[in-house]
Amino acid sequence: MSIQVLQGTLDLMILRTLATMGPQHAYGIASRLQQVSEYALNLNQGTIYPALVRIEQHGWTRSSWGKTENNREAKYYTITKAGLKALEEETERWRQMASVVEKLLAEEQ
Amino acid sequence: MAHWRRIFARLRNLLSSKRAEEDLAREVASHLTQLADDFERRGMSPEEAQLSARRAYGGVEQAKQAHRDERCLLWVEQAIQDLRYGLRTLSRCPGFTITAVLTLALGIGACTAIFSLVNAVLIRSLPYGDPERLVYLFSPNPALKIPVEVICPSYGDFYDLKREARSYVDMSNFEQAQFSVTQQGTMQRIGGARVDEDFFSTLQSTPELGHTFSVEENQSAHAKVAIISHSLWVSMFGARPDVMNRSIRLDGANYQIVGVMPPEFEYPFKTDLPYGDSHIESTQVWVPLALDAKAKSSRALGNNVSIARLRAGVSIHQAQAEMAGIMARLDKEYAADPRDAGLPREWGALVESFTGISIGPVRPLMQLLLAAVGLVLLIACGNVANLLLARAAERSRELGVRAALGAGRGRMVRQLLAESMLVGVGGCVVGIVLAVFFLRLLPMLDPGNIPRLNEASLDARVFLVAIGASLLTSLLAGLMPAIGASRMELTEFLKSHAMRGSSAGHSRLQSALIVAQTAMVVVLLTGAGLLIRSYINVESVDTGFTRSAVTFHVSLDQRYSKPEQHVAFYKDLMTKLEALPGVRAAGGVSNLPLSNSESIGFLWVEGFPNRDFQQTEGRGVTPHYFAAMQIPLISGRYFTDADASVTNNRPVIISQKFAATYFPNRNPIGGKISTDEKHEHWSTVVGVVADVRHMSLETEPMSQMYNTSYDFGDESVAVRSVLPAATVENEIRATLKSIDPSLAATDIHTMGDLVSIATARRRFQTSLLTVFAGIALIMALVGLSGLMRFSVNRRRREVGIRMALGAERSDVLLLILRNAAALVVWGLLLGLACAWIATRLLKSFLFGVGQHDPLTVVTVSVLLAVCGLMAAFVPARRAASIDPMQALRTE
Repeated sequence: MSIQVLQGTLDLMILRTLATMGPQHAYGIASRLQQVSEYALNLNQGTIYPALVRIEQHGWTRSSWGKTENNREAKYYTITKAGLKALEEETERWRQMASVVEKLLAEEQ
Repeated sequence: MAHWRRIFARLRNLLSSKRAEEDLAREVASHLTQLADDFERRGMSPEEAQLSARRAYGGVEQAKQAHRDERCLLWVEQAIQDLRYGLRTLSRCPGFTITAVLTLALGIGACTAIFSLVNAVLIRSLPYGDPERLVYLFSPNPALKIPVEVICPSYGDFYDLKREARSYVDMSNFEQAQFSVTQQGTMQRIGGARVDEDFFSTLQSTPELGHTFSVEENQSAHAKVAIISHSLWVSMFGARPDVMNRSIRLDGANYQIVGVMPPEFEYPFKTDLPYGDSHIESTQVWVPLALDAKAKSSRALGNNVSIARLRAGVSIHQAQAEMAGIMARLDKEYAADPRDAGLPREWGALVESFTGISIGPVRPLMQLLLAAVGLVLLIACGNVANLLLARAAERSRELGVRAALGAGRGRMVRQLLAESMLVGVGGCVVGIVLAVFFLRLLPMLDPGNIPRLNEASLDARVFLVAIGASLLTSLLAGLMPAIGASRMELTEFLKSHAMRGSSAGHSRLQSALIVAQTAMVVVLLTGAGLLIRSYINVESVDTGFTRSAVTFHVSLDQRYSKPEQHVAFYKDLMTKLEALPGVRAAGGVSNLPLSNSESIGFLWVEGFPNRDFQQTEGRGVTPHYFAAMQIPLISGRYFTDADASVTNNRPVIISQKFAATYFPNRNPIGGKISTDEKHEHWSTVVGVVADVRHMSLETEPMSQMYNTSYDFGDESVAVRSVLPAATVENEIRATLKSIDPSLAATDIHTMGDLVSIATARRRFQTSLLTVFAGIALIMALVGLSGLMRFSVNRRRREVGIRMALGAERSDVLLLILRNAAALVVWGLLLGLACAWIATRLLKSFLFGVGQHDPLTVVTVSVLLAVCGLMAAFVPARRAASIDPMQALRTE
């Protein structure tokens, strides 16, 4: 099954990835997302760019150029303190949201 | 917070978009390489790996665009693009740009200048706390047929009111006074006021230096203290901070300075009082009124002005009702005061707002000017719209191509609006510069009786109005062509490009704009015409006196206390003046005509069915006054020198109006008149002279009576000479100096100057409205001429065909002229219809001319027709000179 990314959840997923894995480049984030979702996420890797720029403009990440282990240059994104706080809030919000949806669906059955 | 941060980040990216773009390209490239590396590692060939990487990544360009959209504010970027493009297209056709910007600038400039005037006069707040709560208290007497705002309650009544009335938080009484001061070696008269202890608190004003009068200072007549104005502080004391230790010499007595008022406080200004001392423009010095107990309880008519501040929540109506109750009780309680020359004790109550008195009289004028300037702005707006419409039509090919290439309708409207906005901004900037220039010119027209005219300046509010007006006009002017262009049917455009245009060569919208503009010009021209006619009527009023007489005022100080001294002084002065070379006659009078001061008396005429309180203007003159002023003698004789010393059965001279009223069908010469209640003293009429316009040029003269003497404290003197006024002035000063060097001649004017001052307001409004009408006419003609030129350009081919088919050049000329004439005639008809209604608003500004004056209507019509044809003639001639061969070949 392939699923579409829910509006607004991409930011949360990226933040979570960065918090878990430390500084990461766009390719790394995209690979990680696909890996974690066991390739169920229908995601063109290019689509994470708007989310990356949005997150950075909010001040939740910082970026700098660096080298990969294969000695390729890549832009690395690092989560900031504000980003960690935002991640916490967003996670909480998502959990509430998910539980509401879950409850609703359970009742319907 | 994070939200704002994001907007700033986006704006920053807008500015450094090139760097961000490079960064993005680098990042995408690195991403693709990493993907490709990965695929290679899984065993793909490099080519396959590259392709798979692209597939996994998705659309590179879409990703970049999404990144861009997220990165910057797209609409701002587009707007900047539009503006940049607009600037480029505008600079490519300077003719259009300059015409449009100048037209708009004229409208905006005129509008801004007038608004800053209105702002200074009506809107900007006065420095008296909340001026809306300030009121004047008057007590009109029904027996006196004079304006109701002349008399304030007597001191006794005022202090009773102050004790009993609950409507006011503060009440104050003051008297205007002039003082002689010596400034830079010459003696001058300055305006002043004697004020009671609550004066400054009522006006809620405090000195910038020192303090106001203490209660003790205001109770003792010996306390010689003064508060001076800021401008006097600067001119007399060089703005020295130690002014509190100094004193000022007023009328020869030293007054200790205790305070300096701030620059904006010179209350009362001339325009602050309904019938103030006409010699006082503004108040420079305040001294305590210091009434003793006797004066405080006087019930006789005084010279005071009563001002009060309403308690919060109390309306003028309530205050008026309360005052009426108290005055009615006082009227019953007290008998008429014997000093009031037989006036009954019937003092009424009238409470009027301060702003109503000071600003009320000029409010209609301000509204008239705003309306006129609004029309000018609308005409400018119409012109710019027409220019833009013509341009849009000329650019239809460009717009069509853009639409064909997929430009959205919204984007095209925005593009055209950006252009008109640029014109608007240009118009605004040039307009504000013009407004500054207009404001420099305005004081030259200053009629002297519009409060705070000289304070008209560009403040934040004026700037806002100017910017708002230009944005609104450019939006209005730009929207029409923009919508028109965006409605263009693409197929229609592609199909009909070769045979463009309607038969008139311009759209109906363009014609409608010209008709509307013409109509507005007609309204303005009619208004200006009526005002000009009124002005001419006022100027040609028979004033009853010569304008060439040079007049001055002289006031004797306390050294002249006895009547004999007065008589000796004035006899000497008149004799010496008349002995001057070139002088034909010299005469004194208690109140000059048009000097805003009047003395009214009651009279009884022998052999006439007298009624109570018959009024006449009364004047004391020296015997040669009529000769000096050239007031024509109708019958009988002028005064002789001997008349001045007669004490019993004194000779009087009356005016024509007096004779017609009180001596109907009989010879007034020898008639008997008494002015005292008990009819103990009678005077005999010895002559009848022409009516003189004393009050104003526009008021019918009332009955006038003159008696003669030399016994005056202060007097105005008229001198008629064959020499130029400047020479006479010098001679007057020298003569006065030779008699008494410490006396000064003040208010030196010719009677012509006084007439000119009296007509200044009229001149002001007439010239302004005429200038606006002129600007409007020129704008409309430029618009008409432009439309005709445009239309001729579009009809070249048609004209070519007509000529090829045998039309004469004169036929072509007529064709275009007829087209223009139709527009002008429609505009004229519409305009006359509007003017018919609109001139009703002008009624109060007219003098001796009806609001539908046929002469004005005819003049305006002819003027417009001639100017309209002239404006259309140049393009029409160009149409007639079209070479048919060339016209047909170029298409």
